[in-house]
Amino acid sequence: MLKSVVRAVGAAVRLCPASASTARALPLSCPALCAPGSATTRPFTRSLWMLSNSGASSGFRPKLFSSKVLSPAVSCGCGGLHTEGDKAFGDFLTDEIKEERKIQKSKTLPKMSGGWELEMNGTEAKLTRSVSGEKISVTFNVNNSIPPNFEEEAEQGQQKPAEDEPEMISTPNFVVEVTKQAAKHSLVFDCHFPEDEVSHGEGEEESDIFAIREVSFQPEGDADWKETSYTLNTDSLDWALYDHLMDFLADRGVDNTFADELMELSTAIEHQEYIRFLEDLQGFVKCH
Amino acid sequence: MGVVLRNLQKVVPLRRARLRKDIDTLRHILGVQKFDLGIICVDNRKIQQINNTYRKKNIPTDVLSFPFYEDLRPGKLPCPLHRDELNLGDIFLGVEFVMKQCQEQNLDLHGALTVVTAHGICHLLGYRHETEEEWAEMLQRENYILSEYNRLTGRQLEPLMKKCSQDR
Repeated sequence: MLKSVVRAVGAAVRLCPASASTARALPLSCPALCAPGSATTRPFTRSLWMLSNSGASSGFRPKLFSSKVLSPAVSCGCGGLHTEGDKAFGDFLTDEIKEERKIQKSKTLPKMSGGWELEMNGTEAKLTRSVSGEKISVTFNVNNSIPPNFEEEAEQGQQKPAEDEPEMISTPNFVVEVTKQAAKHSLVFDCHFPEDEVSHGEGEEESDIFAIREVSFQPEGDADWKETSYTLNTDSLDWALYDHLMDFLADRGVDNTFADELMELSTAIEHQEYIRFLEDLQGFVKCH
Repeated sequence: MGVVLRNLQKVVPLRRARLRKDIDTLRHILGVQKFDLGIICVDNRKIQQINNTYRKKNIPTDVLSFPFYEDLRPGKLPCPLHRDELNLGDIFLGVEFVMKQCQEQNLDLHGALTVVTAHGICHLLGYRHETEEEWAEMLQRENYILSEYNRLTGRQLEPLMKKCSQDR
């Protein structure tokens, strides 16, 4: 019980929306529960890690160990505090990093088919390509892109074999920006991987692989989302118009194949960033 | 609600707007515009799985229909009492299977999907082809639908039943 509650809290922390200052990337953060397709996946192995901290976004403050401030601490002259807890933490991180590296499929990121160029800015990825004078860019952020998937495990209440563990797939919201030459505004699609209806056994998911949530015109290259632009919400849209919008994206290389590859890429980036974070954390905890 | 269109596969590039327009034309011909209809496009793996689950046939196929009304007399439209009964059911289109057939026979994919969908809607409306009599009745209905479709669109589509084996 405690385990599930703690993990739920961890999930809640991870679900906090990205900072508002994030450039045009992701106005809404609402990842899907599970994702179809053949995206590169890896098993859920962060359980212990999630129990040991309050989430990546909260920043690490060793409160549990802070009581040791009053007890004798080891000092090596680096100006930092070193406790027994820090040592245990460092050892734990060493094992965790080793495990994560073991399940990392490749050190290099998977390539997107269709001539997309990848540009990284921290956890934000931008894919761009040009088609007959039009520029198409797709932006996504791997932060908060892995949906929580704890329900079944909590119900089971027992350790499952490693191969049966749920897989971690990154399903980020993504923004497609289509820019035509000589046009003042770009057409911007806010897309996401829909939450599948929970299905047991049959696996009959009924959602499209990806869906358009909103469409609007935005000033070209402008980093800030202009809230005053009319925004077409697809919840109550004429379906024929929706289909034309989907065909419009498909003609520009954003189709189900693209979405599937994007999941694979995002999963690999997220994992890479996670390992990097663990390494930074280890370096911070350990003596410099 | 109308037609709920879902594309769950990535093998076949589909034109959603074209598919919806063709399905709307079929609904118009059959006079079933007020009924909801689900069209789900899937690959071979998925349709084989569904075929195996519901028909114990572990092979991919072109179309599987799941009628909302299971005991309709062929040709009789349902008489729903409530808004949520304005539903014909769901049709799973094996678009990968259909595409392979089109490649072999040099046919237009969306034309073939229209033919297959017409077949599926007939099943939702109570038509069967388990006996010779049923087969003839269903062929006649498909002939009518596609001749109307051809008249409205200028295309030249032929019923699936013409080459349909009895075990479909």
